[in-house]
Amino acid sequence: MTHPEGPVVHDPHTLPVNDNVNPYAFCVDLDGQWFLQKGKMIAYYGQVDFHAIGHGPLDHLVAANFHSPLHATAWVVAQGRGKMLLADRAYDINSYDLDDGNLTIRSGNLLAFQPGLALKQSIIPGFLTLIGTGKFVAASNGAVHFVEPPIRVDPQALVGWADCPSPCHHYDHAYLRGVLGGIRALTGIGGASGEEHQFEFTGSGQVLLQSTEELMGATDTGGVPATAGPGVPGAGV
Amino acid sequence: MAIFRLQSSRVLAVDLDGEAVKAKKGAMVAYDGEMTFKKMTGGGEGLRGLVTRRITGEAMAVMEVRGRGTCWFADRATEINLVRLTGDKLHVEASNLLVTEPALRTGTSFTGLRGASQGNGLFTTTVEGTGQAAIMSDGPAIVLRVTQGTPLVVDPGAYVAHTGDLRQQLRSSVGLRTLIGEGSGESFQIHFEGEGLVYVQPSERNTIGGQI
Repeated sequence: MTHPEGPVVHDPHTLPVNDNVNPYAFCVDLDGQWFLQKGKMIAYYGQVDFHAIGHGPLDHLVAANFHSPLHATAWVVAQGRGKMLLADRAYDINSYDLDDGNLTIRSGNLLAFQPGLALKQSIIPGFLTLIGTGKFVAASNGAVHFVEPPIRVDPQALVGWADCPSPCHHYDHAYLRGVLGGIRALTGIGGASGEEHQFEFTGSGQVLLQSTEELMGATDTGGVPATAGPGVPGAGV
Repeated sequence: MAIFRLQSSRVLAVDLDGEAVKAKKGAMVAYDGEMTFKKMTGGGEGLRGLVTRRITGEAMAVMEVRGRGTCWFADRATEINLVRLTGDKLHVEASNLLVTEPALRTGTSFTGLRGASQGNGLFTTTVEGTGQAAIMSDGPAIVLRVTQGTPLVVDPGAYVAHTGDLRQQLRSSVGLRTLIGEGSGESFQIHFEGEGLVYVQPSERNTIGGQI
């Protein structure tokens, strides 16, 4: 049956190898293991098993590549051989290659990664860091743009950053100066433009931005363990 | 003959020359020429269809659009996909069906547990005959071919429609670990075997089984 004017029909041989099917879906050529965020697999050909992270046959792999106990319930390991399609609420999806690098990304944006990468929880709450060599897949609300520091970005547009130092907060000081500014700063009365607070990046590297200021609904990242002790950001909140 | 063309991926234009099409009620966004819109009780399937749809919960609010000119359809900016049927049968959820040609017959069929896991009820809508149908998806649908040697597994929340001679089976892998909160998130899957095409969307509806 052919559809001359119809949509493209994919089968296991015509699906792309570790590449996008369309801007909203990514095809993983699975031969071994991949880490996935729960519930992002939409379809697969072949033989694939999904294992929860915790206990199980993949303990060794998890120990080597997964260092984010706070996120453990949000991730699974796909194991087997076949073509697997990933998507997330029809958001834009892109894949990235890291070559002995590091990249920090908002936890809700990361969909999947190869075991060549190790996932660690960033000390910045809500962010994850990937270290090593391999491919990962991330979603964004609108297309992703790469920019180089020095740059100040809107907090809601930030997806992640690679190789450069972690950002710091930047407040538009001029706006909060003087008597009126003092009242604004103290009471919040007087109106805010919504743009007087940014994240500031310095150094050399790459900053990833999405093209909207609407955050993707992130999965609950959990808290820092209560035993973490003083000096650990986020502990005791 | 009604001519279906995609004005964009989210707006369907239908050129009519005196004939009628069946469309989801309220999906008309614009028209030129002369058009009449008539509500069709029970999906235009007669009294029997009306009763069946009431009982099965596969309710479909349908209108008949008849006239000369062009009518544009859209629904909540969802992506629209054209499916041309040549005597085969399309299975689709009633909520995902936008417009069908008059030559196509619609009906309901039992899907078993798959429907239940999707939260869509135990029944689905079938479209049979020769002609075009427009179906909706959250994000552009991906069409995947199933053959004897290459069965396909689909997440219930991403399933939109299928055509051809396919057997479907819901499988679950709910085990002890799921019960203690360590589910894989992919515990429910639909396995398709046979020959046909499956439409999946790059998004997952909230399903009863989705978070397990």
